[in-house]
Amino acid sequence: MSKTEKDSILLIGGRSKAKSLALSLLAQGYHVTVINESEEDCEKLAEIKNLNVYHGDGTKLYVLDEAGAAECSIAIAMTAQDQNNLVACQICKKHFAVKKTVALVSDPDKVEFFHQMGVDSVVCAISAVTGIIQQQAFIDDMVQVVPAGYGKVQIVEIRIPEDSPASGKKLWEIDLPSEVVVGCILRRDQTLIPRGDTRVNSGDTLVVIAGSGQEMEAARVLTGR
Amino acid sequence: MKLFEKKKTDEYIIIIGCGRLGANLANTLSANNGNVLIMDKTKHAFRRLSQDFGGLAVVGDGIDLDAVQNAQIEKASAVIAVTNDDNTNIMIAQLARDMYHVNRVIARLYDPERESVYRDLGIDTICPAVLSAKEADKLLGKCTEEESK
Repeated sequence: MSKTEKDSILLIGGRSKAKSLALSLLAQGYHVTVINESEEDCEKLAEIKNLNVYHGDGTKLYVLDEAGAAECSIAIAMTAQDQNNLVACQICKKHFAVKKTVALVSDPDKVEFFHQMGVDSVVCAISAVTGIIQQQAFIDDMVQVVPAGYGKVQIVEIRIPEDSPASGKKLWEIDLPSEVVVGCILRRDQTLIPRGDTRVNSGDTLVVIAGSGQEMEAARVLTGR
Repeated sequence: MKLFEKKKTDEYIIIIGCGRLGANLANTLSANNGNVLIMDKTKHAFRRLSQDFGGLAVVGDGIDLDAVQNAQIEKASAVIAVTNDDNTNIMIAQLARDMYHVNRVIARLYDPERESVYRDLGIDTICPAVLSAKEADKLLGKCTEEESK
């Protein structure tokens, strides 16, 4: 195998996820290999230019070996079954010395366990999606939400409306939940790093860092809704 | 089955997967006065248990945390994972060992290559293909010995 400029990435399983991820990674110049158990999916994937496609069970050593797992620096397992993703990542890590392994997990309770078992990065699609749906459904005032620390911390932009009870108050006068910090105030074209005595005006956008799911409560206090 | 010969009444063994091997083990252990719980995803699988099986048979998924917690996995002295899926058995074994600190964990793996990886990771594994090959080899050895006599 020739020495390549960009890393090789191995994708194990996943139907439409594998396709769109492969396209995006190829566009960034990575070398991408896909392993898929379904012949039908393989045929679909093989239509993509420059993508290496292997038909087989990505939790088997010889399949991973043939697909060149040993040359990959990142392996991403996204089959529909958690146990397959765990095993694929562990074999990549322990047997083929892949530097970074990423597993998709459907059971939110197993995220911590996957970490313990040596998977470098664990993505729980269900909790990510339900989190986004909740935000979309209930809170219009949150402009943008960025999860950090595996979703334990949220960075949220909250706009202060005209009728907000917080409008005109100093920051320390607002009864925010304990695990919420206002990191920044965006006022027209200005960005202010607030102190306790900074006044909040209607029309401001607050960048709030919230832990343990307290971003909803923070939004309620700041918007009055 | 040296493992289970010492009869302790406080031994509690969980078997996951009620196929031929799982059911056989459950019947034997139960006949030897062991406390046995056997779990399978389908109720139908329990038909393989003998009439006088004295343990518990529970419908549940062995990789579902609620299901194994309901089975009081943390109190088990041994967990044996013998479903028909290697990866499920691996996950059960690691869950039992590292999350619930079960002392003795055994997983049956069909794929010999995978077995060698997980044996290196410190999981007690049984691989039928490897065992059969060894046994066949032994029998062949016996034959040739007899012939040479």
